[in-house]
Amino acid sequence: MAGAVEIENFSYDYPDGTKALVDINLSITHGEKVALIGPNGAGKSTLLLAMSAFLKGTGKISIDGIGATAKNAKKIRSLLGLVMQNPDEQLFMPTLFDDVAFGPMNMGLDEGEVRSRTTDALKTVGLEGMERKPPHHLSGGQKRSAAIATILSMEPKIITMDEPEASLDPKTRNKLNRLLKSLSQTLIIATCNMDFAAGLCERAILMDEGRIIADGGASKIMSDAKLMQTHGLEVAAVFSRITH
Amino acid sequence: MRTRLGRSGFYAGLVKLIVFIRAASERSLKMHMANELLSVPVAIGTLGTAAAGLGLICHKAKSLITSDRFALMGIMGAFVFAAQMVNFQLPLMPGTSGHMVGAVLLAIILGPYAGAIAISSVVIIQCLVFQDGGLLALGCNIINMALVPTFVGYWMYRLFVNAQPSQWRLYLGSIIACVVAILAGAVLVPIEAAVSGVLRVPFYTFLITMVGVHIVIGIVEGLITAAVLVYLRQVRPDIIAECVVNSVRFSKGVLYMTLITAAIIVGAGLSHLASSLPDGLEWSYAERPDEPDFEPIISNESHAVAAVEDFQSRYSALPDYTIRAGAFGQSAPVETVEAGAGWQSFAAVFGSGATMGLIWLGAWALRKKNGGQNAPRSN
Amino acid sequence: MHHAQIDRISYQDSPIHRLDGRIKLACVLIFSVFVISLPATSVSILACYAIWPFAVLVVAGVPISFVLKHILIVSPFIAVLALSSLLYDKAPVIATFGPWRWETTAGVLRCFSICGKFIITMTALVGLVATTRFSDLLAAMAKLGVPHLLVVQLGFLYRYIFMLIDRGYHVLRARAGRKFRNLGFADELKTTAAIAGSIFIGSIDLAGRVNMAMQGRGFDGRFHRLTEMRIAGADYLFAATLTLYLVALQFLGRVF
Repeated sequence: MAGAVEIENFSYDYPDGTKALVDINLSITHGEKVALIGPNGAGKSTLLLAMSAFLKGTGKISIDGIGATAKNAKKIRSLLGLVMQNPDEQLFMPTLFDDVAFGPMNMGLDEGEVRSRTTDALKTVGLEGMERKPPHHLSGGQKRSAAIATILSMEPKIITMDEPEASLDPKTRNKLNRLLKSLSQTLIIATCNMDFAAGLCERAILMDEGRIIADGGASKIMSDAKLMQTHGLEVAAVFSRITH
Repeated sequence: MRTRLGRSGFYAGLVKLIVFIRAASERSLKMHMANELLSVPVAIGTLGTAAAGLGLICHKAKSLITSDRFALMGIMGAFVFAAQMVNFQLPLMPGTSGHMVGAVLLAIILGPYAGAIAISSVVIIQCLVFQDGGLLALGCNIINMALVPTFVGYWMYRLFVNAQPSQWRLYLGSIIACVVAILAGAVLVPIEAAVSGVLRVPFYTFLITMVGVHIVIGIVEGLITAAVLVYLRQVRPDIIAECVVNSVRFSKGVLYMTLITAAIIVGAGLSHLASSLPDGLEWSYAERPDEPDFEPIISNESHAVAAVEDFQSRYSALPDYTIRAGAFGQSAPVETVEAGAGWQSFAAVFGSGATMGLIWLGAWALRKKNGGQNAPRSN
Repeated sequence: MHHAQIDRISYQDSPIHRLDGRIKLACVLIFSVFVISLPATSVSILACYAIWPFAVLVVAGVPISFVLKHILIVSPFIAVLALSSLLYDKAPVIATFGPWRWETTAGVLRCFSICGKFIITMTALVGLVATTRFSDLLAAMAKLGVPHLLVVQLGFLYRYIFMLIDRGYHVLRARAGRKFRNLGFADELKTTAAIAGSIFIGSIDLAGRVNMAMQGRGFDGRFHRLTEMRIAGADYLFAATLTLYLVALQFLGRVF
């Protein structure tokens, strides 16, 4: 069986020439929960975009064995769903139902299937009964959950997320943590919040300046104080208790 | 029994009134048309024209606008709302602020077809969500404020401004484009009102007022549009470059000919319209000793309007008064149709008031009984 | 903000809220046509026409005072034009009302007519918008034949209006926090252009990312819609009531 995500020597430059990603090599198997950590500007978001076939760079990216090129874009995006940083950008339809049903409808499923997937996705994130609400009536935490639901309804094998815990209060953050823990999909979560990453993922990939610096067990990498500080991060509280 | 409003109460009321007028005038600077300026035939005619126009534009736009620009068009419309909030002090009028309308800017950035659709949607939302302009006047408002300004503004801009304009050219072109575009739309308002015959404001007076106000608005709009384009050129030249790529092709020669022909038609039409319409039923002019020829001109051409009004008042429901067609030149007030009509009017008003009171009481009692319904639905 | 309030009121529940959007839209249009077509000589019958939108709002549970205040805010332009009738129409008339006779000009009565019609048609419009969720209104318009592109446009516009208006308010507040006097006109223009320009650029970038989100969920240019609208008995009843009401008003004053 092909790996979930296989990236070989992938590089990408911005239109103005700055190097966004430099010689990325990584391999993620199905079912893993991976934290993509690094300081701002490290290229985490860019890497997620590349995985969803939004960028044309050099090198090879395969999602479940299929090349992430513009030609395969639709197939790739039904296998890998990206939850973007700002839920307002992900919720663009007049009602929540329309948003969550958007993906399945574009996949060409019939009406009954679309409805059942939508209801299931909303139930998973705890927003059942709110189908007819417009997005701008939802709170910040509800919008986050709704954004995740829009991807869940497509039933992808892999879910990538760009800083899902940002600007959430601790209670909502814990709720999100529990939700993500309950998902069976492969998860790749880009984040600057070490505590959030540590509580969720067993593997961590550290990026800085467009390169992969370290790739291995989350606890090993995230408890390495020197490594964390060199790359503008901090040690997760749970690990600092271990090391002291 | 007389009550005297205390001095402080009077001044407080006056201050409130002034604040209200200032606040309201900041919105009404847009001057959307209301239902009541139009007659039903004109309203239906303009609704039909606007619908046909939008239908044609949407049809044409399907081939011009790729699906990845849908979000952009919608969000640009929302931008227009936000931009209309940003105001600044006008130089010659202390205490008044101006703000941009955005139609021409959008036409330049998105192209005329997408721009027309975007601004039309803005006008529709203004009518539905903010009640700016009536539902029957929507056709007029779409034509006056969306369809005409975007296309006219776009063409005028493209006539004057080439791909790499100097700052001078940009400003001049923007101002000319905005003035002509906004005037073209504004001029239609008195025409639509005059053809409807509801308002009694003399056509020329209305026209001159609208033209005067909108020249100022146009100049201000042109300045802001140019300033925004200059700013964009500095900060995000890629956006400006994309506008040039997306621009619609047209032949300048054809455009010049169209403009000249249009100007001739409009000029001739306006003068004909102005002379053939009565300047209101100007009773006060019926006795102008200094111009003895004045009367015949008015009475000849007002007969049609007066006849319609006479017919309406005879057969309309519950007329409160009648204007007699033959009452020209009389300085005495005219009697109403039937003596009993006064009591009918009385009954209508008080009967309706009582009915509304009953409805309100009924609903209140029902609500009390149900213990507060109307809570938001669960979904 | 009062505009957001109408949005919230439209999510309440009442027999009127549950009616089909197409029926409500058609009814408001037809009602407005009847009111506008009243000649200026029929002023007192406007009171009878006012009953309908009043009843609709009361049954729907929309606070009347809110509606009237809302209408007052959009009234200045029509108020000025109505008042102009006082200046320009000086046909002398006698109006009778109950036991009173009043010598006045046709302009005064015309002014009353215009103001009355304005209040009534606007109230009817608010009655439509305050009882219909915008998404339902859009679906109604789509079913009634509005071009697909325009419906899509309205959907996106409505979705992002409040967000951009909030952004506008933030920027204005930021400017207020740093600008303490009137700059010269040239500088005012430049700062205003910079503000509008920065909101503009933010909008373009937002649009780019929304577009990416759409592509990310497989959008290929066509919006698919699920069938959802059905006309029920209540809708027929509503339309029938309005028809009877309008027909009855036509006979009023002509029969007796």
